[in-house]
Amino acid sequence: MSTAIDQQVATFQERFKRVKEEVSKVIVGYGEIIDGVIMSLLASGHVLLEGVPGLGKTKLVSTLSDVMRLKFSRIQFTPDLMPADITGTNIVQEDAMGEKFLEFQPGPIFSNIVLADEVNRATPKTQSALLEAMEERSVTVGKTTHKLDSPFFVLATQNPLEMEGTYPLPEAQLDRFFMKLKVDYPTVDSLHTILNRTTKSQEPIVERVLGQGEVLEMRKTVRAVPIARPVQDYAIRITLATHPKPPYAHALTMKYVRYGSSPRGAQALVIGGKIRALLNHRLHVSCDDIRAVAYGALRHRVLLNFEGEAERIDTDTVIKGILENTPEPK
Amino acid sequence: MSDKEIIIASLRRVDRRIKINRLFTELNLTAVLFLAIPLLLKLWDLVEPMRGVTIGIIGGIWILLFVAFAVWRFAQKSTLEQAAASADTRADLNDELKTAVWFINNPRPSDWIEAQIRRAAGNAQNLNVDRLYPRQIPKTLYLAAAMILVFVVLNFVPLPWNHNWLALQAAPAFSLNDKEAAILAQTQELLRKAEQLQQSELTEKLEEIVDQLQEGTIDAQQAAQMLNEIQNQLEEGNLDAASITEGLEEMAKDLAQSEELEPTADALQDRELKLAADELRKLAEKLGMNKPESSKEIQKSLEQAAQNTRPGLEELAKLLKEAAENLKNEQQQQAQQSLEGAAQELGTIQQRIESQQLKNLASQQIQSLKDALQQRQQAGQKASKGEQQAGKGQNASGQKPEAGQQPDGQSQSGQSGENGEPTDQAGGEEGQAGAMMPGGSEGTGLMPGGKGGSDAPREGDATSLEVQLQQEKVQGMNDAGEKPEDIEESSRQERSRLDYRNVKSDLSPAQKDLLNQDRIPWEYRPLIKSYFEAIRQAPNQQGKQ
Repeated sequence: MSTAIDQQVATFQERFKRVKEEVSKVIVGYGEIIDGVIMSLLASGHVLLEGVPGLGKTKLVSTLSDVMRLKFSRIQFTPDLMPADITGTNIVQEDAMGEKFLEFQPGPIFSNIVLADEVNRATPKTQSALLEAMEERSVTVGKTTHKLDSPFFVLATQNPLEMEGTYPLPEAQLDRFFMKLKVDYPTVDSLHTILNRTTKSQEPIVERVLGQGEVLEMRKTVRAVPIARPVQDYAIRITLATHPKPPYAHALTMKYVRYGSSPRGAQALVIGGKIRALLNHRLHVSCDDIRAVAYGALRHRVLLNFEGEAERIDTDTVIKGILENTPEPK
Repeated sequence: MSDKEIIIASLRRVDRRIKINRLFTELNLTAVLFLAIPLLLKLWDLVEPMRGVTIGIIGGIWILLFVAFAVWRFAQKSTLEQAAASADTRADLNDELKTAVWFINNPRPSDWIEAQIRRAAGNAQNLNVDRLYPRQIPKTLYLAAAMILVFVVLNFVPLPWNHNWLALQAAPAFSLNDKEAAILAQTQELLRKAEQLQQSELTEKLEEIVDQLQEGTIDAQQAAQMLNEIQNQLEEGNLDAASITEGLEEMAKDLAQSEELEPTADALQDRELKLAADELRKLAEKLGMNKPESSKEIQKSLEQAAQNTRPGLEELAKLLKEAAENLKNEQQQQAQQSLEGAAQELGTIQQRIESQQLKNLASQQIQSLKDALQQRQQAGQKASKGEQQAGKGQNASGQKPEAGQQPDGQSQSGQSGENGEPTDQAGGEEGQAGAMMPGGSEGTGLMPGGKGGSDAPREGDATSLEVQLQQEKVQGMNDAGEKPEDIEESSRQERSRLDYRNVKSDLSPAQKDLLNQDRIPWEYRPLIKSYFEAIRQAPNQQGKQ
């Protein structure tokens, strides 16, 4: 039995590694971002990528879709985008007998991988069209609910600089993202590599290495990883420490946070920890795993108060304080 | 062994090693902290020697606390979870053992959990406890050893006032100063000489008193009382000695009637009893060569002398009488034996008188020692009284302490200085007995106990008012309204250096309200003042008129 599990873990690691290698052929220097995106996919979650234009966010997602044998669609969010443009709508059709009937025309949401580019440019009404799809994995049009194919993975991008004419995502929407990953400017070495790769006549070609079944199998493996109560307790204490209420509240939280993470944050910590444990060839989750995924899992779930925003406090600073002050179980 | 047993056994090993290391470190650190106490005490002891009782109490508490701490730390148990967490950290196992222990304690049917435990067991088996938790000698151990060494060295510092605690030595409860020790030595010497003459246990008693005083079983006052008893015992023989001396003088007068006995009588008169005994022996040898008239004179003189039967001279009188009778019966040999016996008795009397003289000297020394002890005790009482007064704060009642106002009714024998201040000498050493002993024999001191001090001024403690403000002179106005009156001017010039304190009133709140009631409104006060000034002038004017 042990050998079978070891084999399962080895397969998981191998597949993960192959996906990452293929994506890294195109995307340079964003190892952690790639890891976070793949982890979110395997955790049945969604990812919000935040970064200034031109850093390769969209390229990353499109490359990921290229690597996987999954159905991919891209939605460019604009202020005039309507919900029906995402979900699809019933269209009047005419059959061979000339009789008219309504036929559901699925929107781009009906894919395995959906890129919601510049998601904060759409109106809240349109943004909310994603809510049901992201959480329930279904779309309701009229009186009919349409199930989405599994895996269903939304990758949204947003630009933190251009705030004019944008509609910041509401908390409920943000909470549905498994991780929020910040795409920073690449380093000099990474830039050299990017230029070397993109300014030549031959562009890198990626292979499709992962199919739908394999993704689902990997998701199942992730869920099987056991976590001990003390480690889970550690994840819970970190989550509760994001709330500005005693007894777990950290000083920074009490000062700058209006509302902390929902239980989805704790779920993200544990599932992210499990994936990381598997990647490190471990059969258990450690506190170190929880800490490693804490920033991506919690940064978009911590809502700053007026004082925090006025002082331009970064939620990562708050999370760092929490991690430093939450003792490991003894 | 199953995987679970392997994990538990490994963690027990880890737990034991952690506990040992922790105990070793903690006890060493605690020992250093605890050793600081006896070390500081020993240093303090070098400055101000402490009594054995004090050291014993502090030492006992110290040992109790240390043992209690050690027992508490030793009894503190750690859990396997704690050991697992520690081993995970040290061996970089990323919470593997912690997770395994939790799943061992909370079993669940899962292949993944079994696999996890199996993997954890493998790692637990490979744990090298010696490498992960090496036995280290903490630096505090060296520090503790150094402190012990210093403590031992301090105990053996060759200083006269240092006491070796390791040899169970400590400062006595009461230590004699050089002068007192000299007096004691002289007394003991005198008593030893007196003992050689007459068996006595007084020296032992005296040593016993001093020992008890130094051990703290008796205080200086009790020691003085016990010395008083010894003194009384020593002086008991004074009356006998006086009686003997008088009796011998009378005997000398009687014996002087005989020409043959004149040298003996002279010697007795001069209280040269040995010489008198020798003369008697010479007389006894020449008894056969004397004329009958002279023998008769001798016999008569002896008979008369034998009639002086004072206490202490009974035996001598008896022997003289026997000699007289033997001479009367012309029993020369028996008469010689009787005279020889009388000569020996004279020697015995001589020894008795000398012994009494020595005892008297010893008694005087004891008196000096007693005075010194009383003086020291009174000085101590005065010091403690002064501290109590200081503790009570500024009790500026202005009352002088009355002379002789001692709580135990003793006179202030130690205050023989000119200004009533205590001096080292107990009012001088000579002729001060009356001053020292309350109601005792006559003396020339200043105290009421001695007759010589009855008219002398009694001086108490100096006035100890802590605040003495100058008399304030408030300048009033002779004429009304021209110059503003500043009634606080003087107060601003002279301020008390002590804070004013809230003195609690015995009055009830209602009474205080009544007293503080201001019946005169502020704005009417100048008016009332001018009114009284106006009516004050009226009688003067009337007088002038």
